[in-house]
Amino acid sequence: MTKLRTEALRKSFGDLEVLKGLDLEVTEGEVVVIIGPSGSGKSTFLRCMNLLEEVNEGRVIVDDVDLTDPKQDINKIRQNIGMVFQQFNLFPHLNVMENITMAPKQLKDLSGDDARTLGTRLLDSVGMSDKADAYPSSLSGGQKQRVAIARALAMEPDIMLFDEPTSALDPEMVGEVLAVMKKLAQDGMTMVVVTHEMGFAREMADRVIFMDEGLIVEKGTPEQLFGDPQNERTRDFLDKIL
Amino acid sequence: MSTKRKRQSIYGLLFLAIMLFTGTLSPVRGQAEEDTYLIATDVTFAPFEFQNEEGEYVGIDVELLAAIAEDQGFDYELAPMNFSAGLQALEANQVDGMIAAMGITPEREESFNFSDPYFESGPVLAVRDDNAEITSYDDLDGKTLAVKVGTTGAEFAAELAEDYDIAISQFEDSATMYEDVLAGHSDGAIEDYPVMAYAIQQGLDLRFPEEPELGDEYGFAVNQGQNPELLEMFNAGLANVLEDGTYDEIVERYLGDSSEVAPRSGFFGLFQANFGDLMTGLRRTLILTLVAFAISLVAGTIIGLFSATPSKVLNVIANIYVTILRGIPLIVLAFFMYFTVPQLFGIQISAFTAGIITLSLNTTAYIAEQVRGGLAAVDKGQLEAARSLGLPYAVAMRKVVLPQAVKIMIPSLINQFVITLKDTSILSVIGIVELTQTGRIIIARSYQSGAMWIIVGFIYLVIITLLTKLSNRVERRLMRND
Ligand SMILES: Nc1ncnc2c1ncn2[C@@H]1O[C@H](COP(=O)(O)OP(=O)(O)OP(=O)(O)O)[C@@H](O)[C@H]1O
Ligand SMILES: [Mg+2]
Repeated sequence: MTKLRTEALRKSFGDLEVLKGLDLEVTEGEVVVIIGPSGSGKSTFLRCMNLLEEVNEGRVIVDDVDLTDPKQDINKIRQNIGMVFQQFNLFPHLNVMENITMAPKQLKDLSGDDARTLGTRLLDSVGMSDKADAYPSSLSGGQKQRVAIARALAMEPDIMLFDEPTSALDPEMVGEVLAVMKKLAQDGMTMVVVTHEMGFAREMADRVIFMDEGLIVEKGTPEQLFGDPQNERTRDFLDKIL
Repeated sequence: MSTKRKRQSIYGLLFLAIMLFTGTLSPVRGQAEEDTYLIATDVTFAPFEFQNEEGEYVGIDVELLAAIAEDQGFDYELAPMNFSAGLQALEANQVDGMIAAMGITPEREESFNFSDPYFESGPVLAVRDDNAEITSYDDLDGKTLAVKVGTTGAEFAAELAEDYDIAISQFEDSATMYEDVLAGHSDGAIEDYPVMAYAIQQGLDLRFPEEPELGDEYGFAVNQGQNPELLEMFNAGLANVLEDGTYDEIVERYLGDSSEVAPRSGFFGLFQANFGDLMTGLRRTLILTLVAFAISLVAGTIIGLFSATPSKVLNVIANIYVTILRGIPLIVLAFFMYFTVPQLFGIQISAFTAGIITLSLNTTAYIAEQVRGGLAAVDKGQLEAARSLGLPYAVAMRKVVLPQAVKIMIPSLINQFVITLKDTSILSVIGIVELTQTGRIIIARSYQSGAMWIIVGFIYLVIITLLTKLSNRVERRLMRND
């Protein structure tokens, strides 16, 4: 069943057209990895999927609901789409537990106890239960990103968007974050991941998308895309990074 | 501190502010006190009006008015303010009458109705005791004369300036004018004879090189066409107190040879003798500051948020507000609130309320700018992360962006608080007796401006240092988490 779909998606910043008509379909439980050179529009594409970035043309459809329809309550829909950022964006004035429970408390009227139970369960799942009362400034990058993932899961979304979740990490911390993401994927989460971690893409992706200059140049299974790229530009890109 | 406790203390502060503010809103002349007349007088014009060491208003005008009011059976309340401010207040119907050793001149009669004259006096030139150079008007060429804005003395100085090459310095009150001569900035001062004579009798080192000029008659004034019954009562009462000798008693008390000379106290004596008044002034300064700052904190945050929203309309509103309010000097804004607004809208505003509004409008503009800057300094990723969780814009701002912006803003807010506290001194121009005005009043009766300004400056310094220390401690508390 289709979980998320974009149709002829276009996006410009001023005169600069960044996305030039993108069609993508993500089925339930699928892990889609987006790769491509810097500036090709990967982040912008991902941010259009929860309308953090306004869309100029085309549609974004999640669970048969058109997000670009102004009549839709975008706040309601976003609760169903978790997002993890390259720079973590944890709330520095709140401790780890509060970072996670703030949104459910505000939006689901969760009691303090219920919120704490939820927070503890999520922290457990990312291996951070001992840091519940710590403030973000005292955490390592890997720990921050694991908390950020737990926070994104707090509204119990069925889709998770990841924008280069390991790019800001020291190499020795990449593994712990990828492990959390793998577990999520194995549990059946629908995921769209922008990443340069080709190992993760090979192992976990159901499909890999190669983007360049605002277009989807090629898509396929990891075996097809990495093993037998059809497009010249894909081959160039893969040659450079592998 | 938990966020809940923090919020509670903010609400507490707000509540306090509103209490104080509404307290000040109770108008000086409510409908219930309709037959209590508000009478303007000068703050610093001994022997006609001045505060004694007990803080009571005394002087020839004050006692004459009291005697007449008693004779005629009307109630009144004195509103001491600078002379020129009093004239404007009378024109704006902010007060019902004015008694302030005011000469009856044709120009003034165009705006006001005067009572029968109750005192005759003329301007006189005074120079420093040790000034041997000036012995007559002819020695005034190339000299500077101090005068008080809007007085008969000022008019006489202007006449002199037609014949001699004289520069004129304008002052708002007598004490400052005398000090200007004593300090050697001006060579002489022109002032009504009885006022100057009284000051010299009280120990001021000035002398008269010339005889006083010919008469100028003092009258009680009401605004043109307003309160005719008050004027009638004043005339009737004046006739009675002249008749029964009360008038002579009053004048004798201030100008006769028997009037007692105030001892000149030393620095600490001056401080001790006026401690009560100074603390009352300081309390007003603090109330003005706290109330205005609390209001500005709320209003400034709202306007600051306006400029941060994606809404172009709100951006423009915030921009216009800040541009206008930052572009008007505080003193002009104070005059506008106290004199222009009542005339435009036919309402009455007490000086204290006008002062609070003035200070709040001004401080709001600066805080709004600080809020805007603070919000801009919060990483954009914070709002995005909050919105991506499904939090509506307002909630995301309130729970995520604003708390971080506040932390960034704390040093500049502390700074703004100190500025607002110091700015309260400007409100003395509309007659609010805060710390600075208290200093002026004390100088008017003690003639010790040198020591007094040191004392007043010191009090400001101590209070501001204490408050800064306190807020730095609060700041460190809040910063502990990062
Ligand atoms: N807010 C913005 N305003 C103007 N231009 C933007 C904005 N955001 C992105 N761009 C431009 O859009 C293009 C695509 O940017 P995007 O961040 O989507 O690329 P990316 O594929 O994620 O690159 P990277 O691998 O470096 O993260 C770039 O040229 C970028 O400069
Ligand atoms: Mg990117």
